[in-house]
Amino acid sequence: MAEFKAEVFQNEFLAEGATDVHAVVSVTCTAAGKAGQSGQGEAAEIIIVDTSGSMDMPASKIVAARRAAKVALGEIVDGTWFAVISGHSVAQMVYPTHPGMAKMTDVTRREATHMVDALRPGGATAIGAWIAAATELFSQVQTAQRHAILLTDGKIEGEPSYALPQALEAAQGQFQCDCRGIGADWVVEELRTISNALLGTVDIIAKPEDLEADFEAMIQMSMSRGVADARLRVWAPQGSEVLFVRQVAPLVEDLTPKAVQVGPLIREFPTGAWSDESRDYHVAVRVPVAPLGNERLAARVEMVINDEVVAKGLVKATWSADANLTTRLDPAVAHYTGQAQLADAIQKGLAAKAAGDDRTATVLLGEAAKIAHDSGNEDTTRLLSKVVDVVDAEAGTVRLKSNIEKTDEMALDTRSTKTTRIRREP
Amino acid sequence: MSDTELKCPACAEPIANGDTFCEACGAELQAPEPSAVSPDDTAPIPRTTKIVAVCAYCGGSILDDGFCGTCGRKARSPRDHWSELPVPWVGGVCDKGVVHTANEDAMALSATPGGSLAVLVVCDGVTSAPHSDRAALAASRAACGHLTAVVAPPSESVAAAVSYWSDALLAATSEANAAAVGVAHTLGDPAEPPACTFVAAVVAGDLITVAWCGDSRAYWLPDSGDARQLTLDHSLGTEMIAAGTAAREAELEPGFHTITRWLGADSVDHSPEIASQSIEGPGWLLVCSDGLWNYASALTEMMTLLTDLSASSASDPVPLAEAMVDWANAAGGHDNITVALARCDPSLRLERERTTRG
Repeated sequence: MAEFKAEVFQNEFLAEGATDVHAVVSVTCTAAGKAGQSGQGEAAEIIIVDTSGSMDMPASKIVAARRAAKVALGEIVDGTWFAVISGHSVAQMVYPTHPGMAKMTDVTRREATHMVDALRPGGATAIGAWIAAATELFSQVQTAQRHAILLTDGKIEGEPSYALPQALEAAQGQFQCDCRGIGADWVVEELRTISNALLGTVDIIAKPEDLEADFEAMIQMSMSRGVADARLRVWAPQGSEVLFVRQVAPLVEDLTPKAVQVGPLIREFPTGAWSDESRDYHVAVRVPVAPLGNERLAARVEMVINDEVVAKGLVKATWSADANLTTRLDPAVAHYTGQAQLADAIQKGLAAKAAGDDRTATVLLGEAAKIAHDSGNEDTTRLLSKVVDVVDAEAGTVRLKSNIEKTDEMALDTRSTKTTRIRREP
Repeated sequence: MSDTELKCPACAEPIANGDTFCEACGAELQAPEPSAVSPDDTAPIPRTTKIVAVCAYCGGSILDDGFCGTCGRKARSPRDHWSELPVPWVGGVCDKGVVHTANEDAMALSATPGGSLAVLVVCDGVTSAPHSDRAALAASRAACGHLTAVVAPPSESVAAAVSYWSDALLAATSEANAAAVGVAHTLGDPAEPPACTFVAAVVAGDLITVAWCGDSRAYWLPDSGDARQLTLDHSLGTEMIAAGTAAREAELEPGFHTITRWLGADSVDHSPEIASQSIEGPGWLLVCSDGLWNYASALTEMMTLLTDLSASSASDPVPLAEAMVDWANAAGGHDNITVALARCDPSLRLERERTTRG
């Protein structure tokens, strides 16, 4: 049985008249077990492979996609519902051949592998139609845990612009989806919209030969998620305002717009499936001001599975006249505030660069370089250094590089939300 | 269960079944279910935070995490706010106030049902000395216990009665001081021992006698006639005013509230001052801590406050004391607030005494 633990990091002391309470709630899950085996129903997995015409240019892309899909099939645990979809101008069933899902066995795995080998590219990219098809397939199996992998190499061209938002609206809450872009001709923003809406990740596979290992890791991760569906429940007192609820580790993701009001003072945020892992949430609440010396609860932050509270953290507010207490910034809150700014500066900086506004891009990417350096985010520092020349990291001075690989820029963009964890005092 | 007496887990003093906090040291207790304690059960009673079902501030539900599910305020412990009503004409409220994190005030009230005798004791723990909340509670309960046990004197002259009750109050003050010193002993005699102010008032027939150390006060506030502050603060502030500083000016001095007499192990002089007042018509005896009178330091202000509140909201002791506490909290609640009241009315007293005898 999975166990959850919630730890709160905050400075609960507020100066007289102050109202804003910030806390980082670190949620850790242990003994998660395996997907579909923890009493919350079976697991279901769909692999969506882009087979549009461009996957043949170069042919190494479709070759890598076939190989990766087969590796993924090998990692799907027996007994899991599964399907493979070939995505081009329409969503076409690869396995099973009828619109439905199959139970993974030695036999179905062999049959599916055989069908994947026969995938041939041709047609346009209509991701909205692919997502809609996956939603339809998942609806046919009564399982709690549904996960898809979506691979594409291009931007949406074969369908009207409303197709994707419409498909996402129907898919939201139905399944989780990890998105991968291969090559440099896909659009980061499109895949990020999908992964955001469907509680998944997005990443670039610059070299086709890396795809296999990535698919393997993604399915392994999915199969290790023994907790099908957990929600983050936030209670805030009467008269307060929840400023934001943001996942800050391992990825920055604003959950605020995903709030579902479940009671007058309680809202819930979907967090999807959990493996043995730890995620950090930054919660900010504006509370009614109280007199000095008062101790109030600013938020109850709970993890909820099937309406049962499995972990709980209390965010407090205590008004004090002691400036030594009230001016201290909690290290975790400070760190993750910086990491969120880092992601924001990179995304806005790259957008400015794409729009030809080099001045803004230089300022924002310089800011990003400084935060990445100061917070010890080495991965991001390395990705940044492929797009800008860092003149002075401490001052945040950079110069835009003139000749850069497009994939480097896309890698920086997709991975901008990846945060480093703060080193905690022992 | 005399041979397996319940003991406070914090100070090992005896406690009664059902107590919510220790009378000797003020530690919070959770009363065990009677059936849960077998005669040979020697396990200590666990100290837990009391879980209150209803929020005292907004009426919401207190959840098992100790906070209100609606307004988020911390559940009020019984030590933070309680009231006593030994008889319908004597009652009081002891409250943490708004700003302080603990209630270091204490009170102890008792009265005979017939209405011939009432005892009201208020102690204000010294915030700078740790655990003064315990000293205040122990001292007030010790004095109240002592005075309640004093046999009323035979009917004599007023002068003889004053002398009789003065002696009783002197002895009660010593008992109270011994109790405060006792708390220091149970704490291992800390360098800064717990300390508290002390004011005790006895209403015996138509005579009020008070004894005090420090700046907690007693007032006689008659329905008609002259009101009187029965006590004179033992504080630097009083000394300043005595030396000629204007009261309003003196109150702004940082040392104004520094008390010059108190109870506790480090008390230089715990001999009380004594005053008395004869009751000629109906009125209120008010015994309070500075958490109240800070906001109504002049006698006329206190009289106005009591008159206004008894006219507008309450005429029974506990509701009136609650109203005065609420008023002080609304004014800032910068200190703990204790308000103890006795409704003294010679004609009603005679009526009560006749009924009791009959």
